[in-house]
Amino acid sequence: MVLKASASFRESLPGQFVMVRMTDSNAPFLSRPFSIYSVRSRGGDTFVEILYKVVGKGTDIFSRLREGDAMNVLGPLGRGFDVPSTCKKIVLIAGGVGVAPLSFLAERCEKEISGAEIICYMGAGSSKALAGLDRIEGICSVVKISTDDGSRGHPGLVTEFFGHDMELYADNDSRIYSCGPTQMLRSLHKLLKDRPVACQVSLEERMACGIGACLGCVVKTKSDGLVRVCKEGPVFDINSVDFS
Amino acid sequence: MKLKMGVDIGGLTLKNPVMTASGTFGYGEEYSDYLDLNRLGAIIVKGLSLEPRDGNQPPRIIETASGMLNAVGLQNVGVRAFIDDKLPWLRGIDSAIIANIFGETIEDYVKVAEILNDAEGVAALEVNISCPNVKRGGITFGSDPALAGEVTRAVKDVSHLPVIVKLTPNVTDITQIARVVEAAGADVLSLINTITGMSVDIEKRVPHLENVTGGLSGPAIKPVALRMVWEVVNAVSIPVIGVGGIMNARDALEFLIVGAKAVQVGTANFLNPGVTADIIDDMEKYMSEKGIGDINDLIGTLKI
Repeated sequence: MVLKASASFRESLPGQFVMVRMTDSNAPFLSRPFSIYSVRSRGGDTFVEILYKVVGKGTDIFSRLREGDAMNVLGPLGRGFDVPSTCKKIVLIAGGVGVAPLSFLAERCEKEISGAEIICYMGAGSSKALAGLDRIEGICSVVKISTDDGSRGHPGLVTEFFGHDMELYADNDSRIYSCGPTQMLRSLHKLLKDRPVACQVSLEERMACGIGACLGCVVKTKSDGLVRVCKEGPVFDINSVDFS
Repeated sequence: MKLKMGVDIGGLTLKNPVMTASGTFGYGEEYSDYLDLNRLGAIIVKGLSLEPRDGNQPPRIIETASGMLNAVGLQNVGVRAFIDDKLPWLRGIDSAIIANIFGETIEDYVKVAEILNDAEGVAALEVNISCPNVKRGGITFGSDPALAGEVTRAVKDVSHLPVIVKLTPNVTDITQIARVVEAAGADVLSLINTITGMSVDIEKRVPHLENVTGGLSGPAIKPVALRMVWEVVNAVSIPVIGVGGIMNARDALEFLIVGAKAVQVGTANFLNPGVTADIIDDMEKYMSEKGIGDINDLIGTLKI
């Protein structure tokens, strides 16, 4: 879905998100958080793109919208990914529509970090669920695909596929970025545990406000207790999150 | 026409009757990018306890039909950190700053109230005797007339500030509690707090909230809140603040017409962080259109 938004969205950083709500409707009631998939300027207007899968009432209603319908968009919100300018290998691990912020990140890194290789491991339930594949293939030097049902690429979980190659990214100049279902991030956390690899993950949680007030979206961290996904995140260092 | 929007409630003068409800507006600062906080009649900050609290484990919120359930569990920085870290910033805001307080024992309430006596910049206390989220917490105070009166009197005895007591709707007869709390010395009543509710995930057959039950808020509760405010206005002689599901100026005006002297906007802040400024604007527009020069001439004008 592409949303016409204010010019302030040009400052959006990969990993940041927006809160989206139907204008003048209480169904769905709460705004829904989505990672930013892309931000483009065209003819003086700014457009924010989000990628979503229909999973519940809110996304079902969104899927029935027609061109020109009005939405309220709040953002850009939260903390984005950090990429050191000296980074040589940027490894993206995407699960399903979790590819959205990683695709935005890849686009930025391709422009701003010269000489970095961008590699993507992309997993989904089936080949049909590999949303956003074409775009990320156009940016990354390598895209390695896996599907749970084996309908495309490596059969099995994306984290297993990545696990086989993990040693390739053990050097200081590599950075790993991931977004996907919590179960996938938990597996990744297990794989990377006790390894000196820098990895950031973007977390998803139910939110009401998106600006740090409702305290609804907290996640358990190892050293800071419960913290807000909307404000202290949604991007966290994987080792700071308590996945137990 | 220059409109008079100011209201006096229990020794507290507000520039207009629109306040933000505790727990929906953080400590004010969270909203400073989205509206001019100086426009608000009052900011009621997140509930404060004697010691900091982590609150409940997630999941803490779930959407419901025209509303939401929350079980945040009164997470807060504690009253001392509020005074040291949050209040200095709030002193720069030209709105009444009201500290919402709660405790698990009467002694806790008293200590928090005493600590806030010395805090410059706090205009009033709002005593939460009604939060349904904490297993051993406020519910026992707010649903038991004797306890509700006891905690009110204890806070009144020590506090130098106007004391607002926030009532829970989870009682058989809210007017009974309201009368007891009035008799115990409360300067103002605010109502309603959230209505205890529940939601179940039928796939996993588990509650949607880790705490099992939570507080229902949003437009779903507005008719209930309005009815209770109307009943309480008719039962007591101290000012009443209307709270519950206010999404826009029309909703706010309903509460004023039934007799609330002011309103609190809660869950609507989550959906649109600038909503309170819109409500003030639209309220003024309504008054201009109706030829009402003073908001006080509208309050309690319900015709039955």
